[in-house]
This record gives sequence, C-alpha cells and structure tokens, in this order.
Amino acid sequence: MSEDEKILKKAYEKIIESKVEKDQEQEENDLGRIETLEKEKDDFKNKWLRSKADYQNLEKQSIQRVSQEILKEKLNLLLEFITIYEDFIRAQDSLSKNNVDTSGIEIIRKNMEKILSENNIVPIAAIGKPFDPQIHEAISMVEDDSVDEGTIIQEVAKGYYAEEGILKPSKVIVSKKKSEK
Amino acid sequence: MAEKIIGIDLGTSNSAASVMQGGKPTLVPAAEGTTVAGKAFPSVVAFSKDGELLVGEPARRQAVTNPDNTIREAKRKMGEDFVFKIQGKEYKPQQISAFILQKIKRDAEAFTGDTINKAVITVPAYFNDNQRQATKDAGTIAGLDVVRIINEPTSAALAFGLDKSKEDMKILVFDLGGGTLDVTIMEMGGGVFEVMSTSGDTKLGGVDMDVAITDYVIDEFRKKEGIDLSSDPQAKERVRTDSEKAKIELSTVMETEINIPFIAPGKNLEVKLTRAKLEDLVGSIVHRCKPSVDKAIEDAKLSVSDITKVLLVGGPTRMPIVKKFVSDTIGKEPEGGVDPMEAVAFGAAVQAGIISGDVTSDIVLLDVTPLTLGIETLGGVREPIIERNTTIPTSKDKTFTTAADSQTAVTINVVQGERPMVVDNVSLGTFNLTDIPPAPRGVPQINVKFDIDANGILNVTAKDMGTGKDQKITIQSTTSMSEDEIKKMQEDAAGHAEEDKKKKEAVDIKNEAESFIYTTEKLVNQDLKDKIPQEKGIQITDAIKELKDVLSQDIEQIKPKLEALKAIVNEVTTELYKNASPPPGQQSGDSNQQQSGDSNQQQSGDSNQQQSGDSNQQQSGDSNQQQSGDSSSEQKSENTSS
Repeated sequence: MSEDEKILKKAYEKIIESKVEKDQEQEENDLGRIETLEKEKDDFKNKWLRSKADYQNLEKQSIQRVSQEILKEKLNLLLEFITIYEDFIRAQDSLSKNNVDTSGIEIIRKNMEKILSENNIVPIAAIGKPFDPQIHEAISMVEDDSVDEGTIIQEVAKGYYAEEGILKPSKVIVSKKKSEK
Repeated sequence: MAEKIIGIDLGTSNSAASVMQGGKPTLVPAAEGTTVAGKAFPSVVAFSKDGELLVGEPARRQAVTNPDNTIREAKRKMGEDFVFKIQGKEYKPQQISAFILQKIKRDAEAFTGDTINKAVITVPAYFNDNQRQATKDAGTIAGLDVVRIINEPTSAALAFGLDKSKEDMKILVFDLGGGTLDVTIMEMGGGVFEVMSTSGDTKLGGVDMDVAITDYVIDEFRKKEGIDLSSDPQAKERVRTDSEKAKIELSTVMETEINIPFIAPGKNLEVKLTRAKLEDLVGSIVHRCKPSVDKAIEDAKLSVSDITKVLLVGGPTRMPIVKKFVSDTIGKEPEGGVDPMEAVAFGAAVQAGIISGDVTSDIVLLDVTPLTLGIETLGGVREPIIERNTTIPTSKDKTFTTAADSQTAVTINVVQGERPMVVDNVSLGTFNLTDIPPAPRGVPQINVKFDIDANGILNVTAKDMGTGKDQKITIQSTTSMSEDEIKKMQEDAAGHAEEDKKKKEAVDIKNEAESFIYTTEKLVNQDLKDKIPQEKGIQITDAIKELKDVLSQDIEQIKPKLEALKAIVNEVTTELYKNASPPPGQQSGDSNQQQSGDSNQQQSGDSNQQQSGDSNQQQSGDSNQQQSGDSSSEQKSENTSS
C-alpha cells in the first residue's frame, strides 16, 4: 500500500469513525426522545383512563344519588301518610266506643294498609316482645313483675320497617323488676 | 389516585363525617339511616346486658333501660384522668371516642367503597394539648391515622371558604347545638386562623326550645279541656313530635297549626302557633346566649364593630329569631350558603382534601363554554347545539334538512349567545354547503357537528348525508370575549326573556303557517287532487289565501286563520280516510283517530322547527322542516331529532 493510499485509508477510517460516532449519538438522542415520548404517552394514557373512569364513576354515583333521593322523598311521604293512617285508627277506636257505625272507616283503613303493604312498609311488633334497641326506642321503664325484665309493656308510638331497613323505630315503655325495699 | 382522607366532626352530642367527592364535601350517611340529627348520629356508646357494643342511634334508643352501661358526652372527659366503669371493665374517654370513630370509619368505607385509613378530626377551640392528644389517640385506637386536628370554628370557616379571602378578618363563630353553645372569635390573615377568644354555655341549646314549645302546647290544651297530657306518655310523645315539626315549619312560615286528633278520649288538640308566639316562648333561651357573646368579644379585646364576619353553626341557628339575635348583637348579617348543621364536618373534609391533594393538585381543571353555541334557523331563530356551561372538550351534532323544494345549498351561520333570536347574539362565522342534489323540501339530511377541543377551538362541519360531501369552518376562539362581556350577554338574556319568547313564538307561528300552506297546497294540487270534492277544494284554497294574506301581520292575526285552515284540512282528510276504510267498526274508528292525530302532530311539530340563515338562507328542524330563502335558492332545514 503506497503512502498516499495509507493516508487516504486513514482519512476514510476517520470519516467513517466520526460518522459512526454521529450515528451513535443520533441514535442515543432518538432513543432518549422515544423514551420521553413513551413516558409522555403513558402519562396521557393514564390521565385519559383516569378521566374516563372518573366519568363512569360519577355517572354511577349520580344514578345512585338520584335513586337515593327519590327513595328518601318516598319514605318521607310515607311517614306523613302513616301519621294520617294512625289518626284514622284512633278515629275508628274512638267512634266505635260511642257505638257509631265505623264500617266506612274500616274500609278506608284497609285501603291505607294496602298502600303501606304495596310499599313494603311493615309495622314493628312491640308489646310483649323483648326490647331491641335496633328497632325499638325506650322512652321510660316501669316496674312490672308480671313479665320478664326488658319486656315491652306499652307502645307509645308505632314503628315501621321499610324494605331498606327501619323507617322509624317504635317508641316504647319497658318493664323492670320491682325494686326490693 | 390520592388516598381518601375523611373529615370528622366528633361532637359532644352528635357526630358526623364528610368526604370530598367530585371536588365537593359530601356528608357520609350513617348506616342506620337519617335521624333527627340529619345524617349525623348521636355520640352515644353503650354495652347491652349481653355485653354487645352499641354505637349511635341504637345506643341512644336503649339509654333509659340501661343507664349504667350507656355513655354520653365522653368528649367532655377527653384528656382527663378519668375512667368509665362498665360491666367490670374500665374504659378511658379516648377508648369510648374510638368506638364512635370506628363506626364512622365503617360507614365511610361503605359509602365510598374505599378503605379509609386517614382522618382529619375537629375539636373545640378551647381544647388544650392533652385533650387534642387524647382525640388523636382515639383515632389511632380506631385504626385511623389522624393527619390533622383542627378547631371546630376554623373548620366552619373553611366550609364557608373564608380561607380563600385575601383580606385579614376577625370572625365570630356562633355555634349553638342541641345542648351547648360555643362562641369563638378568630383572626384570619393569609389563610392562617388564630383563635382570639372562646366562651360558651354547656347547658344551653335547641333541646331547651323543644321543651318550652311542648310545655306551652300541653298547657294550652289543659286550659281549654282541663286534661293534663303530661301524665300520658303516648300523648306527650305526640305533642313533642308535632311541636318540633312546628318549630321547623315556623322558620319559613309565619303561622302553623298543631293538629293532633284523638289526643285524649273524644278530644282533639288544635293549637295555632305563630312565629311571634314561638319567639316569645324561646326568646328567653336565645337571650341567654348574650353573656357568652359579650364575654368572647371582651376577652378578644375587641368591640362589636371590629368583627368582620359572622358564621352560624348548629341546627337551632336556622331559626329566624336566632339569626336576628346574632345580627342585632353584632350589627352584621351572618354568612349564608352552607347548612349550619353540616358546616364543621364539611370544613374537616375540605382540610382533608387539601392534605390529600384532592382539592387542588390531582384535579384537571377543565374549561366550560361560557355561552351557548348554535346555528341560525328559519326566521332568524337560533337553534342551540352546545349549551352554555358544557365542559370541554366536547362534540355534539344535529341533523337538519332543506326548507324548499330543489334547494341545492345551505348556509351555516354559527352563533354564540343566550337569546333565542340570532340577531341578538354574536355570529362567529358562516360557510356554505353546496351541491346538494335537488330534492323535495325535507328530504335531504344535513348533519351539523360542533366540536370544541380542550383549547376552546371550535370546528363546525356540515355534511350532506346523501352524497357524503362536507364543508367545515374552524373558529379559533369562542371565548375571546371578556368576562364582563359574557356576563352582560347572560344578563341581557335574562332581562329580555319575556320579550324574546314572544318574538320566537311569532316566528314559530309564521314558520308553522308557511309549512302548513306548503303541505296543504301539495296535498290539494298533487297527492289528493282527484279525491277532494270540488267545494272542499275551493274552501281549502280560500282558507290558504286568507292565511297568506295575514302572514306578514302579527301573531294574533295568523293564529285564527291557521287554525281555520287546519280545521278544514282535518275535516277533508278524515272524510277521505273514512271513505277509504272498511265499513264502520271499532277497529276502523280507532285507526282513523290515530292517523289523523299523528298527521297533525307531525305537521305542526315540523313547521315549528323551520329556520333561516342570513337573509337568503333558511333551515328547519325535523326531517320535514323547511325554510325558504328570499331571492336566493340557498336554503336548508334542520332535524333536531338526532
């Protein structure tokens, strides 16, 4: 190989080397950029998925909230209805004591009970039952040895179950043993 | 997602919890349902005779049957060297509070569907370090990491958003609960709250008011009937329930009646209660709050005029007499907008949200369209496509159709504003969709799509569904208006609502009349030409002429003529169908009715949706809606049924 050829070869090698270096550098830059873009893409995808999930959750919550509100309003209305229903029972009791014909009121009462039953409203049993704070509310205790201690002996206000739980607890008076003196 | 932190108002009588949902505090409902205290529940803990732990409503309900094993107001003992002795076991106050916190944790987990491990708990401003530490310990026992303890009045101030204020202020928080009064004065500067003074009365609250009203009603009945109801528990309970209801009603009305039938054998209770009487009954209770307010101001070394904000907390502060007492005493109207029963729990949730980042960092702030975007339709009526306050990015579309036969082009005028008539809104740009194949009016389907990207750039595309040809316009900024301009447009819309409604109605009637004329003429001259009896044909032609003559006049002239034409057309078409159907029978009668009704509905609905673009372009809604351009052939109509 002549001297000139050697010089030429060296020059070529240098050029190739620098090109390879540049290409490597470029490749590194490209890889770095791809990595950044990948990260950015993942970040956006994540945010997008989260937004989508947030929206779907909000939709579910809204549906749930609306049905809860409707149920709440329905139960409130039923509570008002129960007050009137109980007044009818009192009216019937009072009138029948005075020997007044209450057959008409009896029909009204039955119709009202039908509405309550259709709405899954069931009275809570109280008198003679053991007191249960999950469904009864004690307003006082009286001494009574004729029944077991903790038995309900008077119902002050009727309680009702609704399908979803307790619509209102019964208000009751509970027995206790006579204190020994 | 950031871990959920709940805010807890651990109260002396009642407790409540709240959690941030969708950027807003929401009260966690108690598992046993809503009670007299709203969604809050009584801070009562009990052990039944079988050793079962009861917390909240069930514990309160059994209290009279089991007083030795029922604990109320454990909060008052927090931080003290005190033990509750129950069934041979000893419980520190923080253990009792922990039972309440455990219940809250369970309820919150059921409500949110997440595991809750962290909480912000509120304490009275006067709590010392020991009491605060005991509250923190209660949280730890309950399995909650108490990330912050904040003062109840500070929490209320957060609920009212006062921390965002740039001004320094002196805040008086008047917290009247079921059984206690707390008055606190705080100084707020740069979002930092500092307590200046506290005072209160531990035996003053809403329960005293209920007792006063119940006693009054029982007394009135005794005076009238000579019967004492206080010895009859059933009757007394009924009076108490209705008295409380009346008290609540009298916050909004001036007078109410307590009617309890058959309260005693053969006797009904009827008592009229006015707001004035109620205020007379509870006045002395309300005025017992005065020394506490005076003392708080005095201890803070301030005068009433130094107080800049007044906050009301607690159910009884909803009563007008309490509000008036506070505003008269301080000389300032209390802040509104937050339910006083929920304020403390809400504020705790806001604080929790700030700590977890729910309130600011993790929420992508999305913009909304400040004004409605729509297009112009027949008669200069604006048809909304994207309503104001819609969160962007978003896209919506509607299908329109032509208003004239052989109409080959439509102009889309994109408008922004709240008024129903195009002329009162702002036009953002117009473009034409051309080369629509000639067809009878109502046949072509032109879909108009509005798409706003996250930067507020609006793209409007109109596409002829028949040929697939489309045209679009890009509007760079739909929100270039200043806030003042937007506000003015919204106010204008509200101010002109009535007048605009009349204008739109006039155009709608005119459009309906024109459409009906078109349909009828087509019916008479083409579709049913040989089927309509001559004299009926003349009647219809005359009615059309009469209607056309009044078209340029006002709505009152058009309406009767339009009705007259409709009546004749209905009569003719009904007759035609009768003749075309089999011998009269039930079936035939039904089918006639239905068809006739449908046809009327359709026509009238169609004509209402006609619209016009600019002076020579018009659109109409529904597939049959039509529009007629003046001299130009460019016309279109819209179908809003998409």
